[in-house]
Amino acid sequence: MYYIIEDTINGILMGSIYGLTAMGLTIIFGVLKVVNFAHGSMLMVGMYLAYWAVTLSGMHPYLAIVLVAPAMFLFGYTLQNFVIKPIFIAEKNVREPLTVIIVTTGIWYILDNLTLLIFGPQYRSLADNPLNGQMLEIGEMFISVPKLYGCITAVITALGVYWFFQKTDMGRAIRATSMDREAASLMGINQYKIYNVAFGIGAATAGIAAVTLVPFYNVFPTVGVLFDIKGFIIVVLGGLGSIGGALAGGIIIGIIESVGPQFMTATWTEAIVYGLFLVVLFVKPSGLFGQKHDW
Amino acid sequence: MNYKNINKVALVAILLIAFGLPLVIRSATYLHILVLLFFYAYLTTSWNLVGGFAGVLPLGHAAFVGIGAYTSTILFLQYGISPWIGMLVGGVLATIAGILIGLPTFKMRGAYFALATIAFAEGFRVIVENIDYIGPFKINGPRGLQIPPLDIGLANFMFASKEPYYYIILIMLVAVVVLTYVISRSKLGYYLNAGGEEPEAAMALGVNVARAKLIAMAMSSFLTAMAGTFYAQFTLYIHPKSIISLDLSFEIAFIALIGGRGSIAGPILGALLLRPVGDFSRIYFGDTLPGMHLIIFGLVLILVMHYQPRGLQEPLTRLYNNLIRRITHNTTGR
Amino acid sequence: MVLLEVRGMTKEFGGLRAIDSLDLTIEKGQIFGLIGPNGAGKSTAFNCIAGAFAPTAGVITFNNETINGQKPWNLCKKGLARTFQIVKPFASKSVLYNVMVASFATTNSRQVAEEKAIKVLESLNFADKKDILSSNLTIADRKRLEIARALATEPKLLLLDEVMAGLRPNEVDEMVEVLKKIREQGTTIFVIEHIMRAIMALSDRIVVIQFGKKIAEGTPKEIANNENVIKAYLGEDYVAA
Ligand SMILES: Nc1ncnc2c1ncn2[C@@H]1O[C@H](COP(=O)(O)OP(=O)(O)OP(=O)(O)O)[C@@H](O)[C@H]1O
Ligand SMILES: [Mg+2]
Repeated sequence: MYYIIEDTINGILMGSIYGLTAMGLTIIFGVLKVVNFAHGSMLMVGMYLAYWAVTLSGMHPYLAIVLVAPAMFLFGYTLQNFVIKPIFIAEKNVREPLTVIIVTTGIWYILDNLTLLIFGPQYRSLADNPLNGQMLEIGEMFISVPKLYGCITAVITALGVYWFFQKTDMGRAIRATSMDREAASLMGINQYKIYNVAFGIGAATAGIAAVTLVPFYNVFPTVGVLFDIKGFIIVVLGGLGSIGGALAGGIIIGIIESVGPQFMTATWTEAIVYGLFLVVLFVKPSGLFGQKHDW
Repeated sequence: MNYKNINKVALVAILLIAFGLPLVIRSATYLHILVLLFFYAYLTTSWNLVGGFAGVLPLGHAAFVGIGAYTSTILFLQYGISPWIGMLVGGVLATIAGILIGLPTFKMRGAYFALATIAFAEGFRVIVENIDYIGPFKINGPRGLQIPPLDIGLANFMFASKEPYYYIILIMLVAVVVLTYVISRSKLGYYLNAGGEEPEAAMALGVNVARAKLIAMAMSSFLTAMAGTFYAQFTLYIHPKSIISLDLSFEIAFIALIGGRGSIAGPILGALLLRPVGDFSRIYFGDTLPGMHLIIFGLVLILVMHYQPRGLQEPLTRLYNNLIRRITHNTTGR
Repeated sequence: MVLLEVRGMTKEFGGLRAIDSLDLTIEKGQIFGLIGPNGAGKSTAFNCIAGAFAPTAGVITFNNETINGQKPWNLCKKGLARTFQIVKPFASKSVLYNVMVASFATTNSRQVAEEKAIKVLESLNFADKKDILSSNLTIADRKRLEIARALATEPKLLLLDEVMAGLRPNEVDEMVEVLKKIREQGTTIFVIEHIMRAIMALSDRIVVIQFGKKIAEGTPKEIANNENVIKAYLGEDYVAA
């Protein structure tokens, strides 16, 4: 019985980190209405940044947030401004520019393989960081400390992002744009600038997620792909565009992945995750926590 | 000669060359490359039926290739059923899968459909890759299935030389192109284009958009699965990593998109141009600069979407038309 | 003969009541006007009738059949066509292609569809532009394309949502003549319009709504002299003019 509680807790912890990795995906979708296929790659870039920052300076892994989050914000902002924005402008008349999805996939290919070219295929890990392998012992249960830190970070980030969208002028402008582009631009909001900022924020949350992962997760050029697919499933489960939904979706997946193997082979857990995704699409396509779809 | 006639002559010439090629090219290696080229052109053209005309973005077509390949191979290996029949059974199964994915998602934003196709394909791969049996059917997990080349002959879809495969895939390609042409000029084609571009307006004009997309998806799934059977019989070996991979799904979609979605020539042009470039850069850079060919691919993808969102087909068609106009002008100008 | 009857139609968006128990009766062969200030709920009324939204309450009867909640494409095939206030052309396609999509509503044959589409374009003096890409049209022509497409579905009732907005005065006059001609050919027209000159000249009967509620109904003359309407919508200038 303890095992199940222990697995559930660890599943929730890891799941909230999954949720954090997917948060940017849902933010970007909410505003730009496109799925950012390069999101996993942005996470990967964040992980390399964090890895090198910590390795070169020897600082505590979590201190790297101060560097990685702003750097990733700039990275996302620039990427959207110079690579994605032109496509949006070219496809102004198109109701849902799927070409943007395709361009983000191009970015994914380029980022992953540039990283492969520069750093090689090897796995890297922060072996001697203070969090590595740390366990919290509660009775007979072992709780992973880096995952616990990650979970706390995820919740704080979600609250922070929520606060930003509700309380700041920029946040309100972003929400107005996400609800009705045309109305927002009539109100004098520059739609493309909002897209840049939203993309930057999405990238920054990926950066924060990267920092939480690096203390216990290997860094390699295609690490993003794993989180990409997982992220897609999470955001659809939670409801595309919903921040709380991303966390909840992540936690559901985390629990299935960690408790499932008690009852079946790990493969079937993976298959169950995909199955759950398809079932949700059928039964409640707007996701467990999403608003009713907009058309 | 007028413009229409020149087009007809050009088309007949291309067909004659395509059908005559094995008489000239005797090397099995080259024929093999050509067969794969046509195989890709067939896949991208089938993809285009839904991805091009219906204005949606399927990113899991490798699953249908897999369904086709596994269905016919299992039926052949375990029950001795001819792969020709297996091809149709696989097509039907893929159609059912395609409809099941489209049913809930075609009513929503395109992103949902794109994600659902990925999830379906990945889920299918995970299952095939990790289990040995589904009920009585032997899948053989990650090891894949091998078809022993014992009973060679047309009935068993197995040949000693490459030529028969060449002609089969060529005929399949021609057939799917003709089908695309017919559909693009039919009510369904008009409805798909309209629904893809402005769903609300299309609905108000009598178009059941979701139904049109479902029909396109059903046809595309069926045709794609047929290619799976062809591939299994051509290589006599299938395993999940190679035919149900996300890479293949993406490659099909992106070649069609770079070539030009929604046009008839675009997906074929994409396959004929990009596959060789891809192979070449993979061979050329593969050892020294790993991943370089994918960087190039990504760049091409971004640049084409940026400067030619309707694909390479557009400037090429313009070039061709100018050329023809110049020729007809010169001959009739006297 | 009554072609369209709306009884107690209500539409709510969240807490907002965009239409509040609206009643209307449109006779066959009429040109029926719907006017009201911005945001009064006119387009919403069209959307409910044409099946884009399901009304929250009420009964809509078209051609002696209750059509609440039916899908727009089915209503179209039953003879109910509409245009969009914000035009929605199939932008990457030619004018002819756009109209052919619509004329396929009553045929499966490409040839028949094309002939019908050309006939409609000719009747609107639009045939010379049939090969132009619809994204390259002027606003006036885009509005005309909206009408052409709706007409090509061979409707019994045509819902026109501000097809004259943004047109120059001479274009408005031209459009008025076009609509009269369409009515002469037997199509009933239900029209939303802000341009008073046009709607007064066209309509047999007008309904005025404000905040989703009907505030007046009558002939153009009665409407023009109605105290409530002048206060709520037309303004004192109109009377003076
Ligand atoms: N899809 C919708 N969701 C929520 N509210 C809506 C929706 N469509 C319309 N509304 C609201 O319903 C009210 C009526 O809008 P409607 O577009 O019907 O007005 P209208 O009379 O056509 O105005 P206009 O003359 O400006 O075209 C407005 O307050 C509008 O904001
Ligand atoms: Mg309106």
